[in-house]
Amino acid sequence: MAERVVLCIGTKKGLFIAEAAKTRKRFDLRGPFGEGVSVYSALVDTRKKPTIYASSCNAFFGMKVLKSTDLGKSFKETKSAPAFPKDDGRALANIWSLETGYDTKDLYCGVEPASLFHSEDAGDSWEMVPGISNHEHARQWQPGGGGLCMHTIVKDGQRLHLGISTGGHYLSEDRGQTFKAANTGVGAGFDPNPYPEFGQCVHKIATHPDAPGRFYMQNHGGWDECPGIGVLRSDDHGHTWRSIAKGLPSDFGFPIVVHPHNPDVAYVVPLVPMTRTCPDAAPAVWRTENGGDSWKRLAKGFPKKDSYFTVLRDSLDIDSLKSPALYLGTTTGQLWMGHEGGQEWTCLFDALPPINCVKVAVV
Amino acid sequence: MTIKVRELGVTAPTIAATLNVIEEQYPLLYRNVCDETGMVRRHINVFINKSLVRDPKEFSTQLSPGDVVTIMTAVSGG
Repeated sequence: MAERVVLCIGTKKGLFIAEAAKTRKRFDLRGPFGEGVSVYSALVDTRKKPTIYASSCNAFFGMKVLKSTDLGKSFKETKSAPAFPKDDGRALANIWSLETGYDTKDLYCGVEPASLFHSEDAGDSWEMVPGISNHEHARQWQPGGGGLCMHTIVKDGQRLHLGISTGGHYLSEDRGQTFKAANTGVGAGFDPNPYPEFGQCVHKIATHPDAPGRFYMQNHGGWDECPGIGVLRSDDHGHTWRSIAKGLPSDFGFPIVVHPHNPDVAYVVPLVPMTRTCPDAAPAVWRTENGGDSWKRLAKGFPKKDSYFTVLRDSLDIDSLKSPALYLGTTTGQLWMGHEGGQEWTCLFDALPPINCVKVAVV
Repeated sequence: MTIKVRELGVTAPTIAATLNVIEEQYPLLYRNVCDETGMVRRHINVFINKSLVRDPKEFSTQLSPGDVVTIMTAVSGG
């Protein structure tokens, strides 16, 4: 079968799937799946036969994990969803991240309140990962505006990186057995100590396999007293971080994405801190082509004024085709495609429910 | 909207005991009714006959012969 581009669009009212040929000229939309229920995370697992997973975060009946083995034509609940042990005292409030694990059926799941779960059977059973979920810091983390969420899970060889809002960046160097806070250089403008050991409001972390040890972070910026702490880079597997925010109109934002073929190319969506909308109400994605030394505004095709949407932490993704396209979802229910690495933007769908996450895969 | 009603035929002396039986015999249903701490979910209401029982302390109140326990979703949200 010819390669297809599959978009998973997690919204306030369920999961939508959009599918196109490699040309990406026309996307056909189907859904919503898990209708009426908010979807905060999705994963297209391409390690074997493509399988789509999505969280179904039901305020009435609790959290579920949806699974599709037919490219999103139908979904079923997995046999179980992550749940805290009965004597733990915590109750699952949301599922914020789904990622592949180390073996072909392994999955990781980051939840609210910030904890990590692991499945060895493609999501049918889940075990809490105690090294981070029962970390000595865990009961001191505080919820950010979206809740106390573990939203980022990044594999890095034997290392495992986690992003927690607000907890900061945690690093395991033994495949998830033990974790240490790794936040040197990561600021917190809302803390009397602007560089605490932990407790930062990390928004998203991204990396690229061709640049081992390099990580990009969108942190909670926008602080006059702590300029530049919002967009950061690490070159030592996340042990230390430095600002790369110079040249951006705002260092506040949620997503950060790396180009699939060039680790020097990364994308952010700067937002005004108070409104979480684009500066001057004119949407733009900003791109660096030199690892954060400088940034360029990409706005061709976006409205030039009067646009007040937010782009949430998982609502920007990029496909892996030779000339990749970016996909950007908004809280006003628009799904934009940025052709040729964001050079020009077109709106694919303009009236979806508010978008929580966008994930793309070429299968 | 269609409201689906199912009678389980559970016999138990209290609401708490009823939930315990549901947990044992209907684990998938139980997950929808209670979270992992055992608390009834926020948008789920439990009735004895026609009376709403909101305080979990009342879940241990003895039921009388013939009482019917009804578990319903509160219709709310947007």
